[in-house]
Amino acid sequence: MLIEFGDEMNLELNFMGQGLAAAVEENKTKGVVETAPCFASMLIHYDPEIIRFENLKAQMKEMIGSLGPSGDIELDSRLFYFPTVYLDPWTKECVEDYCEKITKKVWDPVFIAELNGLADEHEFVRVHSRTEYWVAALGFWPGLPFMMPLDPRCMITAPKYNPPRTWTPQGAVGMGGASTAIYPVATPGGYQIFGRIPVPIWDTERRFPQFENSICLFQPGDRVKFVPCSVEEFEYVEQQVKDGTYVFNVVEYQKFSVGNYKQWLTTFDKNQKI
Amino acid sequence: MLEVIQPGLETSVQDYPGRIGYWNQGFPPSGPMDSWSFRLANILVGNEPGEAGFECQFNGPTLKFGVDTVIAVTGANMNPKIDEKPIPMWESIAVKTGQVLQLSFATTGARTYITFAGGIKTEPWLDSRSTFHKAGVGGMEGNALKKGQSVPLGTGQGKPGRKVKEDCKPVISTNKTWVIDVVVGPNDDWVDEEGHQRFLTSDWKLSAKSDRTGFRLDGPDWTFTNKAHNKSPEHGAEPSNIIDQGYPVGAINLAGQTPIILVNDGPSMGGFINPYTVPSSSFWKLGQSKPGEIYHFNTISVDEANEAAMKIRQICSESSII
Repeated sequence: MLIEFGDEMNLELNFMGQGLAAAVEENKTKGVVETAPCFASMLIHYDPEIIRFENLKAQMKEMIGSLGPSGDIELDSRLFYFPTVYLDPWTKECVEDYCEKITKKVWDPVFIAELNGLADEHEFVRVHSRTEYWVAALGFWPGLPFMMPLDPRCMITAPKYNPPRTWTPQGAVGMGGASTAIYPVATPGGYQIFGRIPVPIWDTERRFPQFENSICLFQPGDRVKFVPCSVEEFEYVEQQVKDGTYVFNVVEYQKFSVGNYKQWLTTFDKNQKI
Repeated sequence: MLEVIQPGLETSVQDYPGRIGYWNQGFPPSGPMDSWSFRLANILVGNEPGEAGFECQFNGPTLKFGVDTVIAVTGANMNPKIDEKPIPMWESIAVKTGQVLQLSFATTGARTYITFAGGIKTEPWLDSRSTFHKAGVGGMEGNALKKGQSVPLGTGQGKPGRKVKEDCKPVISTNKTWVIDVVVGPNDDWVDEEGHQRFLTSDWKLSAKSDRTGFRLDGPDWTFTNKAHNKSPEHGAEPSNIIDQGYPVGAINLAGQTPIILVNDGPSMGGFINPYTVPSSSFWKLGQSKPGEIYHFNTISVDEANEAAMKIRQICSESSII
């Protein structure tokens, strides 16, 4: 069963998905095997031998009705800083390979800049790297974060590949629609790609303390800031990761206040160009 | 213990229902694609229906036994032999230490299941022994079998000579065409009436670019409703683009113009629409079809899909054994 909460991307709808998933878990709703909340929807995997579709639908409607207002929410939110090579040689090579083997297309950052009325790929990088990103959900691939920009002035949109790529470099940063993602490992993909981070976001060997409880780095409610860096800096950090000496650049003492965030949104014009 | 003499094309450890409960972190269930044949193979050797066994794809392995045990082979016909002599499928068989089980190319169907009394005892990973090759987790070192590996086996109480009743086996197509049931939705309102008609009346050819992640289908182009063309920009501009959402297992995912059925190792979320979903009761057909074969799709209701799944669950029990 797929429940849609709305037709756009905002924090409110994401909280509805996360809130409903938490409520289902807390109530131990009979017949629900698992849930997967995303930006503006939630998927339910249920056992039809225990609960019928219509019955589950009625229960979900009731639960959605009793979700509290999101304005009161304050939650722990880690902030990860990632050194990021924008317009990097690795994703560029991947796009060139796609053009050669599958179909021709404009280089992704140039393509996105044109579609969004930005001067060039460098202005795109400035806008994309300016905001913090909100981890709304994990999915597609183990540990892959679906993220939305917290500063609406940095909202950029892009179509997804048609047809999708057969491979993407590990650590690639990409976007589709208004969502930004990081590819945890080399996988197929449909997002426009334009940057790469050297920091692991999933680790089956749990070599770093961040992976003690889960092999996936993120959880919904985390935030990410991409910090533009050079290829040399990327390679330096990559070597540290290989050696096991890398220390994650993460702030772990902050709470995210939805009330404060909403108040902040009223202090500027969301459509302003920055 | 079991020694891998030849691994076959892609032989992997799977259990049923697989790695359940991690969809919201992006882990697929994995598990056998034809869970009907798989569960019966376990019941034949006296195991619980979900115990870990092998799924062999297109071309099976050659395995040497390091213990006396009882095995069963079900699913696609890969002409199984023990010490060069043909053995029956859908029947439990006693094997002795030192004997060699050999499977070859699938003549009917695509995936064969081998189970062992007591099951395969590799290390579980996130509560399941199923192999998820693409991420390198579960099963034997996270991958398909490799030559020379030793596979740990459990000990069980299997009895030889148990058979599956003829009318309890899945009937594998021999004319290269399959009728696959589908449930409409979740994103059916993005496809227009002609698009739906075209989907339900066309031949869809299973592409060679298919694996346990997704089954790509070749066929006519899709057409869309207003909803797909006029939408907020955060969906993405292409008609098949939607704000990223959870994908059901079995979703017919429309990436651009290429429909991909998301199967056992598929993605849990993404930004393309899913106009139809293949219910679990039809998955065995996907598992037994080969690239180049033709699918016709037939819509059923959610209730009918549930009934069909329950019927298969009933068949996968002791009552189907003689």
